[in-house]
Amino acid sequence: MNNVKLEQLVKDLSENQLSDETQLSIEMFDGENTVACIKVEDREEFPIYMTADEGQVLCITYLFAEDEVDPAKRAELAEAMLLMNVMIPLSAFSKIGNQYIMFGALSPRASIDELLHEIELLSDNVLEAIATMSDYLKEAA
Amino acid sequence: MSIFSKLITAIRGGATEAGQAVVDTQAIRILEQELRDSKKALGDAKTGLTSIMAEKMGVDRKVKDLNSKIKEHEGYAIQAMEKGDEVLALDVANKIAEFEQELTIQQGVLDGYESKVTNLKKIIRQTERNIQAMDREVSVVKTTEKVQKANELAAAKFSGSNSSLTSATDSLERIKARQQQREDQASAAMELESEESGDDLQARLKSAGIVDSGSSGSSVLERLKKKKESS
Repeated sequence: MNNVKLEQLVKDLSENQLSDETQLSIEMFDGENTVACIKVEDREEFPIYMTADEGQVLCITYLFAEDEVDPAKRAELAEAMLLMNVMIPLSAFSKIGNQYIMFGALSPRASIDELLHEIELLSDNVLEAIATMSDYLKEAA
Repeated sequence: MSIFSKLITAIRGGATEAGQAVVDTQAIRILEQELRDSKKALGDAKTGLTSIMAEKMGVDRKVKDLNSKIKEHEGYAIQAMEKGDEVLALDVANKIAEFEQELTIQQGVLDGYESKVTNLKKIIRQTERNIQAMDREVSVVKTTEKVQKANELAAAKFSGSNSSLTSATDSLERIKARQQQREDQASAAMELESEESGDDLQARLKSAGIVDSGSSGSSVLERLKKKKESS
């Protein structure tokens, strides 16, 4: 029953682009059509996963895994994320399993423009967040 | 335990396992069972409320009945007194006293039912809110699980295996490099364009005879000849 909502969102998104004319490529992720994968042009490394139900539309991006975090700076990272949470427009930090994520939630009644705005900000915020948080990550191998 | 702490248990339970599952499916099953139990409890409470309200209506009728009987007998007692029949009046008065005692009892029962109904309604509202919250939370946990699975699928699709996923900073560097490359390309293209348009302007000026149409051996010789003649 939720899939109808998600399918509609995917269809609407496919017919639109971001405000700077950046293209989006969207595909249903699984056979059940419960998760859509949105890729922002030139930022394909950080796909946005979208789900929808009666409660909310969720847009989630994976930032980095626990094993990328410098163990000595783990507490600092957690505090930095908490401090930044309020300041970041529309997106927030969280964790799924051993993966740190950034997400935004919308009302299921949100318009397509609001969803596009959400995706645009989430994509920008993710790059900003990783740049900021790289201080707490292990040196790239 | 609050819903939130149950959810944390559900999420942590899965994350600490060696496997890939984020969400403890057992914990989710428990949550769903609790949700079903709450829904059943809600149904029971609603049935309870209906029967209590029916009983309350019965007591309500009794109270009204007693009140009207008291009124009726008060009329009889007055009539007996007016006729000077003190004995009859006293008998009627005794009957009224009986009715009043019964009324006090029934009124108490009625008040009890009323507070029960109020309480039940409160419980029902609370349960409904809890169920809504639980429904929402369970759906979020399930969503999280779906997204996790999707990410694993994506990782496998892009890199062939989970472990060879590149780090976040690497990915960011790659995006930045691509952006830089794009900008370089754009500025190079712009430079090229301005050069080209400059060339174009030169060509037009030459063809218009405004700018020297370029030197050649013969034109240099011609110039030198002119110079020599004038000197």
